[in-house]
Order: sequence, then structure tokens, then C-alpha cells
Amino acid sequence: MEWEFRTDLPIYSQLVGKIKLDIVSGALPPGTRLASVRDMAMEAGVNPNTMQRALQELEREGLVYSQRTAGRFVTEDIRVIEENKRILARDQLDGFLKAMKELGYDREEIIALLKEEK
Amino acid sequence: MAILECKALSKRFGGIQALDNVDLTVEPGRVVGLLGPNGSGKTTMIKLANGLLTPSSGEILVDGKKPGKDTKAIVSYLPDKEYLPEWMTAKQMMDFFEDFYSDFRREKAMEMLARLGVSADMRIKQMSKGTREKVQLILVMSREARLYLLDEPIGGVDPATRDYILETIIRNYNPEAAVIISTHLIADVEQVLDDVIFINNGRVTLQSSVDDIRGEQGRSVDQYFREVFKC
Amino acid sequence: MLGKLLKHELRATGRIMLPIYGATVILAILANLSIRLLDHEVGNLVRIFAVLIITVFAIAIIAAAIMTLVLMVKRFYSNYLRDEGYLMHTLPVDVHGLVWSKMIVSCIWFAGTFTVIALILALTGLFLTGTSLNEVFTAFPSWKEIIAAMHKEGIGGGDVALFIAEMITGVLLAGLTTCLHFYAAMALGHMFSKDKILLSIVFFVAISIVMNIAVTGYGAARLESFDHPLGSIEELRGLVNFVHGIIAEGLFIEIVRAAVMYAATVIGLKRGLNLA
Repeated sequence: MEWEFRTDLPIYSQLVGKIKLDIVSGALPPGTRLASVRDMAMEAGVNPNTMQRALQELEREGLVYSQRTAGRFVTEDIRVIEENKRILARDQLDGFLKAMKELGYDREEIIALLKEEK
Repeated sequence: MAILECKALSKRFGGIQALDNVDLTVEPGRVVGLLGPNGSGKTTMIKLANGLLTPSSGEILVDGKKPGKDTKAIVSYLPDKEYLPEWMTAKQMMDFFEDFYSDFRREKAMEMLARLGVSADMRIKQMSKGTREKVQLILVMSREARLYLLDEPIGGVDPATRDYILETIIRNYNPEAAVIISTHLIADVEQVLDDVIFINNGRVTLQSSVDDIRGEQGRSVDQYFREVFKC
Repeated sequence: MLGKLLKHELRATGRIMLPIYGATVILAILANLSIRLLDHEVGNLVRIFAVLIITVFAIAIIAAAIMTLVLMVKRFYSNYLRDEGYLMHTLPVDVHGLVWSKMIVSCIWFAGTFTVIALILALTGLFLTGTSLNEVFTAFPSWKEIIAAMHKEGIGGGDVALFIAEMITGVLLAGLTTCLHFYAAMALGHMFSKDKILLSIVFFVAISIVMNIAVTGYGAARLESFDHPLGSIEELRGLVNFVHGIIAEGLFIEIVRAAVMYAATVIGLKRGLNLA
């Protein structure tokens, strides 16, 4: 029932990451209405204050917005979503490139390897 | 205003110093873990807040008042003891709580009992140990109190019951109320806590937020706790 | 809140005391029939059975009285000094309500047990001697004559009413002090972390000794200061007033005794509470 959390990072930032992933991957499409803080907290098995903090962070980043009475929604601004998607992709890429460099591959070899991979 | 406040609070039992000069405050809306090894003073602190013990020196205030009739009306307490009279039924216990606590919400208790599959006519005597513990928790969490004091609620329960208890606590979260959970099983409760208080040998050694500890230490509160209290 | 505590306490004790009363009444009826049976020619086995029932009845009466006392002690002990104390001492009620609710309900059962036993024995007596209720009532006029005679000596209805009031107060106080003696001993004994029960017994004995010394000492001092020796009272009026005075003083001593033990109970439960 609960989400799994890493032990080395604050819980709220892991919640931000998880929800962000759901948004950019389309699991939570633009304009989707989010469940209440309490329900989301119950689903994740975390404290409502922590979930609240995570959602505020997402709001600050422009990925969700709240309407006073209706609740919270995923942003309909596709550009913001795409931008975040790119940032996440770049993070993955950075990690990948770093790991490959440690293995001794240079840029050209990596591209060649990627082309081989179907 | 703080819902719970300790000022230079000490408690001695004969020659044993159970609490030593404790200062702390807990604000409404927080879920706080009172964490320490067995015998560190957790239960003593909770009993003092309930007026079940009297301080040797210093003071403890609940909503600005010394523990007494008025504070007991706004504190909902789950001791680490089975206190339900065996001859009573779940329904009679609800009558009892309804009689004495004006903040008791019967519908809430009925709903939780039904979800648990406990019939209101069942006697406490007929219930298993685990069911008794859950009924006790249901009664305590069905109050709309300002301060919940839960003493070792997850000690010695199976994982399913533990999840049930933590879920019940989250479900009943109220921004006006504070919840204090004492335990030595930190990994199990860590993600429902806002703040933690470390207590050892009757002294408070740390009061901080969970995410601050994780952010600063780069590890979980549980791992940090194990290092601080390693024997 | 006292009302709610009383309601709960009556419910908790009623489920024990009422069946005891019921069983005692049923045994009384069976015993009465058995006594009758013994007057007739019956077989040995029936005879033994009848005697057995009568014996059980006698034991039941004593048991009912003892149970009333035991229940008074047990309710206070298990409800306030054991695990149930975690529930009772965190209710939004003050400690006075806790003590009074237990005392009042115990006194109700004291009175109940006394009434049940007295009625059963009286009816059994009438039944055995073959006296009809009518005969009992016709015996009353002679009481009227006694009252008339007393009146002639200057003892009026006021005196009788006062004596009755004194008696009721005395009985009530006796009930309360009986409870408080046990309550105070237990509350004080349970202030300590170890040997709670042993210490309760020690406190019980200590309270008895201290109270006895105090009351005897007071009595002896009082006796010396009597400027009005008993022998010199000639008129009945004077004697009656003297007796009222003695009773009033006795009641006052009982009230002081009760107050001291009440204070000890409250201190033990409030300041000294130390649930295991």
C-alpha cells in the first residue's frame, strides 16, 4: 500500500520526484484533478504535512496549480511539462555518461554503442 | 500556542532519575515521534502529560494548563496497557466514551469497528489480544482531541496491524491537533512523522524535523538513531 | 460527571450483586421448603439433601455479606490502581468524583445486602414459627403504649426523630468509614513502586492502630473532664439530653476519622498515583 522511500533523502523531495515522474510520463495527464492531500498522504503512507510540502514545491515549480475551492490540478501548460521532462532526461543522461566514462568509453564510442543497441 | 510544553521537567522515583530537566514544546498540527530506547523516560513523560504522575520539579503544561480535569477533556491517550474492562462490550465502551468525552464521535468509531469486522455486541473478553488493541485505538482516535498521546502503539503488533494503526493516524490527521507517538521502532513510523524528539536516560538529546535530519545527515532518522544510541 | 460515574459503577457492580441477591433468595426458598420437609417422614437420602441445602443457604447468607465487602475493595483496587486506572484516571473528572462514586455505590450495596438478608431471615423466622404477618402487625399497639409512656416522662416525638436521625447518620458514617479505611490503605500502599499489596495491608493495620489510639485517648481525656457524673442524673429528661450529647460527640469523631482517611485517599490517588 505504501510507496518505497530511500533512506538517504528527505521524504518530501522523494514525493516531489515521484509525482513529477507521474506527470511527465503522462500517468497524470495535464489538467488532471489530484486527490486531496489527506488521500494522497494515505496512499503514500506518509504524513499529510509532508505531502502538503511536496505539493507546494510542485506548485512553486509550476507543475501543479490549485484553485481555491476545486482543489489541485496538474498544469495544462505543456511547455512546463516538456521542460521538466527534458531536465529529468538530462539528469538520466548525465548519470549514464558519467558511468560510461568511468568504464573508459569516449563520446564517439558511446554513440556507436547506442546505435548498435536496437 | 504550544499544545504541550515542558519546562525544566524532572521526575524521580526513589533514587532513579526518570526524567532530567526536560524542556520542549510541541505545536498543534504536528505528528511527533518520541523516540528512545526502552526505559529512556518516554512513558514517564506521557504519564506526566496525562496527570497519571506528578512532576518532582519543573512543570508540564497542556494547552497552557497543568494536567487536570480540563486538560484530560482535550487529551486522547492510548497507554501501552490493556485498560478495557473485560466484561464490557464494544457498544458499552462507546457509551462510556460518549458519556465522558464530549469530543467522542460515535459514527466514526462505528465505521472503524465495522471496517475491522468487530460487532458492537462483542465482549472485550471474547476478543483476541490484537482486536482489543485495535478497539482501544479506535476509541482513542474517534475523539476529536487537541492532543493525542500514543504510547508504543506499534510495539509487538504484526505488520498488518502496524499498517492499520499508521493508516488510522493519518486518516484522522487534524491540523488543530498534535499527535505524539512514543516508540523505539523508528523505521516503522518514520514516514508518518513531522518531527522527532530523541530521549535517552531521561534527557532530551534532540528535537528536529524528520526531513531536516535526512537532509543534513543524508540518511534516515532510523539509521541516525541507531548511531546516536548504539550500545 | 458524578452522575455518570455512579451510573457506570452501578452497572459494573449490579451485574454481580443482583445475581447474588437472586441466588440467595432462591436458596432461602429452597431452604424453607427443606426445613418443612424434615418435619415429615422421608428417606435418609432426601434428609441428607435437605440438610445440605439448609447448610448451603446459611453459607450463602454469610457469603453475600462477605462478597459485598470484597466487591467494595476489588472495584477500587482494579478500577483505580491496576490497568483500568489508565482509563479511569484520564477521564475529565476530578479525584473527588472518583472516590465518592465508589463510596456511594458501595454503601448502596451495603444497605441492599443488609435489607435482603434481614428480610429473608425475618420471613424464614415467621415461616418456621408459623406466625402470620397479621400477628406481627397486631403486636404494634404495644409499641404505641411505650411511646405514650415515654411521652409522659417528657420524651417527645422530637426526641424520637432525633434518635432516628442520629442512628441513620451513624450507620451512614459507619459505611463510609469502612470504605475509606480500605481506600486510604490501598491508595497509600500503591504510591510505592514495589510491594504495593503488602504495603496496603501495612497501612490498613497502621490506620487501625492510629485511629484506635486517637479515639481511646480522646475518650479517656473526655471521661476525666465530665463534670456531670452519670450517677447524679436523676431526671429522665436530663439523661436523654446527656445521651444526645454523647451521640453527637461520637458522630463528630466519626466525621473527623472519615475526613482524615478521605484526605489520605485523595492524596494517594492524586499526588501519589503510580500505576504499574
